[in-house]
Amino acid sequence: MKTKMLTCLILLFAFGFGLFVFADSHEKEEEMNKLVFPKAYKSTTVKDGGKISGVVKFEGEVPEKKKLEITKDPKVCGVTDKFDESLVVGDGMALKNTIVYLMDISQGKDFDKDAKVEIDQKDCRFDPHVQIIPVGTVLTMLNNDKATHNVHIFGTKKNNTEINIQQTKNRKKMRLTRFKSKNAEGPVEVKCDIHGWMKAWVAYVPHPYFAVTNEKGEFTLEDVPAGTYKLGYWHEACGTNNKEPVTVTVTAGGEVKQDFTLKLKK
Amino acid sequence: MRTKNVVHLVLILGLLSVLNLTYAQDTPEVSEEGKEVYEESCAHCHGIEGRGDGSAAENLLPRPRDFTRGLYKIRSTESGQLPTDQDLFDIITIGMPGSSMPGWETSLSANDRWEVVAYIKTFYDGFKESETPPRQISLEGKIPYSEDSVEIGKVLYTQFACFECHGNLGRGDGTSAPTLQDEWGFKSWPANLTQSWNYRGGNGIDDIYKRFIGGIAGSAMPMFEDPAFGLTIEQSKRYNELDSKVEMTESEEEEYNQLDEKMGNAYEILDLMADGDATEEQKQIYDTAMKAFNVKSWHLANYVKSLSPEKQPEPAIGKNVLRSQYTINELPEIADAAWETLESSYFPLVGQIIVEPRQFNPTIDSVNVKSFYNDTEVVFLFTWDDRTHNTEVEEDEDTGTTFEDAIAIQFPVKVPKGPTAEKPYFLWGGRKAVYLWQWKASDADKVTELTAKGINNAEAQEVQGDIQAKSEYTDGQYKLWVKRALKTDDKKDLQLESGVFVPIAFSAWDGANGDVDTKRVISSWYSFVLEPVPSSRRFIYPPLVALLSFGLLVGLRQFVRQRNT
Repeated sequence: MKTKMLTCLILLFAFGFGLFVFADSHEKEEEMNKLVFPKAYKSTTVKDGGKISGVVKFEGEVPEKKKLEITKDPKVCGVTDKFDESLVVGDGMALKNTIVYLMDISQGKDFDKDAKVEIDQKDCRFDPHVQIIPVGTVLTMLNNDKATHNVHIFGTKKNNTEINIQQTKNRKKMRLTRFKSKNAEGPVEVKCDIHGWMKAWVAYVPHPYFAVTNEKGEFTLEDVPAGTYKLGYWHEACGTNNKEPVTVTVTAGGEVKQDFTLKLKK
Repeated sequence: MRTKNVVHLVLILGLLSVLNLTYAQDTPEVSEEGKEVYEESCAHCHGIEGRGDGSAAENLLPRPRDFTRGLYKIRSTESGQLPTDQDLFDIITIGMPGSSMPGWETSLSANDRWEVVAYIKTFYDGFKESETPPRQISLEGKIPYSEDSVEIGKVLYTQFACFECHGNLGRGDGTSAPTLQDEWGFKSWPANLTQSWNYRGGNGIDDIYKRFIGGIAGSAMPMFEDPAFGLTIEQSKRYNELDSKVEMTESEEEEYNQLDEKMGNAYEILDLMADGDATEEQKQIYDTAMKAFNVKSWHLANYVKSLSPEKQPEPAIGKNVLRSQYTINELPEIADAAWETLESSYFPLVGQIIVEPRQFNPTIDSVNVKSFYNDTEVVFLFTWDDRTHNTEVEEDEDTGTTFEDAIAIQFPVKVPKGPTAEKPYFLWGGRKAVYLWQWKASDADKVTELTAKGINNAEAQEVQGDIQAKSEYTDGQYKLWVKRALKTDDKKDLQLESGVFVPIAFSAWDGANGDVDTKRVISSWYSFVLEPVPSSRRFIYPPLVALLSFGLLVGLRQFVRQRNT
């Protein structure tokens, strides 16, 4: 009798576990392409912080630059050639547009209040291609084109509302005050549907230790309180290192160098 | 005793873990019933976990909604806001025309529908987190529908840039249309505004207004702000006039700069208002500008309303049957004004889902037909909407392969005698052959005669008869003009005779929708008739008969009288 009950129980557990694993695999796959955030973050004054810097490089055969087909408004959008920006490799294999950040920092400096949180729409292209946005901060959209765009920032699972608002050629500057992000999340896709080739990314972040690599592949994180941290990256075409983040130790006033070499996502 | 307790504890924990997994969330107001109804009626398309990935999802476009991101297309609320419970209830009740979402009014009780509303809300945390109810779109200041309002709205349609996606005449053929996708990366087409029976959220003026104030979440359709905020309708018209000028005089330039400054100022105030930093004076400017925007929006809604008939036209049967009109004149050419004198007959088309490969997500709604004939020839004008003009096979890595557009008009080879006689199989014939006119966009002024004995068994006729064809494509619409002799020498051709009802059916291909071969839209058999010639003999025979009957009556009376005496 007892053995029967035990068998039943074991089976029940096995079933439950199976369900759990099945339900979770979807989520996990998605999470692998997202940024990782600390559970909580407290801003304090950082004295004698350290610095983490480095260069991100690409490894592998660089695919031929894909020229974008300008299917609309050639007079405005077709003045300069435009290329797909999901993988921008510069001199010496430098990889642009990689987010490098601290995954597990729980306290440190406050956001730079004067930093511009802007995306420009110029020559029917978003600039920058990757924009970091502190959670709850208003994003400003500029339109320097004589064309109508629609700013379409996708809706997310974590209750950061979808933004999809038309910005005509008459509206040079639009602050998206009504659409403040609520939770740390990202990166989230940005699109202009009118000009389907226009794509960019935003990330809603809870602390200021995020950097986006420039055309030389360089990044710098400054005023990091002394300690040991997990250093993560995200790149549109190369993915993340969420499975194996790099551990760095920062000393007071010191500088740590950490380079990365990224390959195309499988 | 102790082991028993442990066993109980383990049992309870086990049950709890399973319960936890099966409930997405433990929201107390969600009942077992809502989940049951959802899983029985909704999950096939929307998925057990509400991801829009049910077993039927793959074949549907638009895809069933993924509920995990809180994006609901049809809302009474502002952009970026969640829908109200009533919005969700209404969609479940009414369904979404033009998509695979049916209305559930007759198959689910109101109580069950409310239970489902509560249940689908558990798929998205935002419903739990939001402290305030969603902001609803105000319908204040509605402008009644009138011709004048439609005229004003027409100008605004261009100013608001609706044409970018919906096209100049609203047929969903704007230059941005081919590249549109939803937020899940699936192809999405802008609405053909001339077919209001396919509007997902209904075709009332209020519905239309809500769609462009609130946007359509998850799709490319944004919320609209005033493209000339702070300017009146007259001023914004003037501003656009000046803006499009190559050269301005000094006074024009001054006028333009003034308007530009006024607008820039109003936009700045818009941002200040959102921050709560506006002065009293600025608030007034804002209020005036918002009122003007609402007025513009209502005019625009009225214009969109004017683009489509209220209801889907009746199909071409019964009193609407296609009647070719007799004319003693030359038959009209493609652009002839004579076509305007005829009412067109409406043939609805559906996806072909009998033979592989099938078309589950048709983009061509229908074909409209008009026809004239004279003593020797017949001419048809076929008109159908297609958002894209595809004249060749194109490989595109983003949108997939695009094929050429085409249409085929199908007749039996021999007209069945009488309405009950057997017709050939409606899908391009079978045992009995069909006779077809096939037109392809790559060869736009030619029709090929085919004989078919099945959808995969068609051949071009060896002897191609003298059939004239012309076509044009403008603003999302094809026109195909076909002229042929009533009688031919070819036994494989259909022979036409006045007064005889002839079966007719259609196949059409939208290349941009992946239509090719059996993947197409079709109709079943309809019929048409060469309307018999109104004869001059009607002025002779009826009076003659009347005269004769009168004579007979008189004769009869005479006869009876004589017999009685």
